[in-house]
Amino acid sequence: MRMLRILAGLAVIALIAAGIAVWIIRGPGPLAFAGGPMVALADFRGANPTGVPASLAKASAVERGEYLAAAADCMVCHTKPGEKEYAGGLGFKLPFGTLYSTNITPDKETGIGNYSDQDFLNAVQHGRRRDGAMLYPAMPYTSYTYLTDEDTLAIKAYLFSLPPVRASAPENTLGFPFNQRWAMWFWSTVFSPNTRYMPDTSKSPEWNRGAYLVEALAHCGECHTPRNIAFALDNRKKFAGAITAGWRAFNISSDKATGLGGWSDDDLISYLSIGHAKDRGTASGPMGEAVDHSLSKLAPEDIKAIVVFLRSVPAVASPDLPATTAPAAPASHREGPTADARGKIVFQQACVSCHGWSGASLVSSMATLTGSWAVNDPGATNVAQIVISGTKRHVPEDALSMPAFGASYSDEEIAAVANYVTARFGSKGSKLTARDIAELRKQTAQ
Amino acid sequence: MATTLTINGEAKSFDAPADMPLLWVLRDVLGMTGTKFGCGIAQCGACTVHIDGQPVRSCVLPVGSLSGRSVTTIEGIGATPAGAKVQKAWLDLEVIQCGYCQSGQVMSAAALLAATPNPDDSDIDAAMSGNICRCGTYVRIRAAIKQAASGRQS
Repeated sequence: MRMLRILAGLAVIALIAAGIAVWIIRGPGPLAFAGGPMVALADFRGANPTGVPASLAKASAVERGEYLAAAADCMVCHTKPGEKEYAGGLGFKLPFGTLYSTNITPDKETGIGNYSDQDFLNAVQHGRRRDGAMLYPAMPYTSYTYLTDEDTLAIKAYLFSLPPVRASAPENTLGFPFNQRWAMWFWSTVFSPNTRYMPDTSKSPEWNRGAYLVEALAHCGECHTPRNIAFALDNRKKFAGAITAGWRAFNISSDKATGLGGWSDDDLISYLSIGHAKDRGTASGPMGEAVDHSLSKLAPEDIKAIVVFLRSVPAVASPDLPATTAPAAPASHREGPTADARGKIVFQQACVSCHGWSGASLVSSMATLTGSWAVNDPGATNVAQIVISGTKRHVPEDALSMPAFGASYSDEEIAAVANYVTARFGSKGSKLTARDIAELRKQTAQ
Repeated sequence: MATTLTINGEAKSFDAPADMPLLWVLRDVLGMTGTKFGCGIAQCGACTVHIDGQPVRSCVLPVGSLSGRSVTTIEGIGATPAGAKVQKAWLDLEVIQCGYCQSGQVMSAAALLAATPNPDDSDIDAAMSGNICRCGTYVRIRAAIKQAASGRQS
């Protein structure tokens, strides 16, 4: 009897401990920092922060859905490069296997043609597939859960206006236990807020619009917020930056030195609208795609609302980044770092004709290296990635592309040139090895 | 878009979209075919021209970004002191084999000598590595640059 009581006591203690652990790991929600009273959308007195900009207010559901689908950036993940838009099949290489995005064209057999409105809401807001199986959170339903029903169904109307494409995604290659979809129910119960957007009455309508755009639609935190041990967003370090799909998403909290605190409104507006701001660098990789296919399509007042919201996110420092970005490098090849002879050889063969010895490009300000976080990151992740895969941008109209050098230079050469570039144009040179480059090549999404 | 550019000291007017590369304007619009198209991605150097004296790959340079700046091409480089020296040394040493890359080589070499009158091998490497020659005339290019700098055969 006594034994039983002790065992029961231990079981209760274990349960409480597990509950506390889950509570600690889960942390605050993405908007908890704002702190004001939250109300249901219908009870908010200011302008409605959801939906589309005023210019589209009277548009059809399909047109509103087109804007919202762009703002939610559905296309980039649900399209395999070179294949039909929204037909899925893009692979996401995760530490535990590869996930493939699904076909969201209205094809009845391989797409979402049989989805009812409720099926679509379940998938987008709750991460539940039509057959009841749980989606993996690579589909950012923990963000999309904040979308209103009306906006979600406008996106559905838009997707259903597209031509159906017959295309089945490859099977996921997740290993045990990650291939057990039912387990995602527990994950989702703990980590998905599962609530529609609730305006904060202590903030302006513009802030609330920005919050809706950033949290519900653009899902910025999915790349820019670090993840906890359960692979959910750790909002204690909201927007402090993280490595995602082999690229570094930099700190976009309001930290003055290593976040956006030192950026002017014009810098931010320019970067979000065209993926480039003078002396701040140019978006490449996943952020380049986010600008090309999503942010560049937003109305100016929506970009401004995003800026207002971003400014309010508490500062979190990135301790590995320098306090200031490096000034322009010397104009002569003789001055500056000399340690890496091999890196200099590659640089003078392949890079200097566009980027110059000083880092200020004579060809296009988009190719100027000075001031960008990429060259000031002592990890050199994005420099190496851009060298490997190049950069192809679609906005602005005269955007220049950089060729991919991954096939023409060895891992040793790419490591050497990345180390040379960060030493010459950044505050602290990187120490990448050929092994690091091989690893980065593996991590990049296809 | 109607544009006027100073090319080799002369004002030239033409109509071209702002995002058209300068190389296309030179060759296709103005008929100045001395500057060559090589790779089209700023990796071979055949299309090198000078913008305000600096060597730039014209195949990727949007013409709309050039207002108020002065362009020098292979057709005009002989009028500059460094360009004249380079051309003479090139002829004296018979640098050229097939010749396709050579307008770019001459433009890069002239820019080097204008900025660094007595270049050593590392200066030559830094300035010329981005100019590729399929015939492999690199050894004569290096010798000709040294001769142009010193005025005597090396």
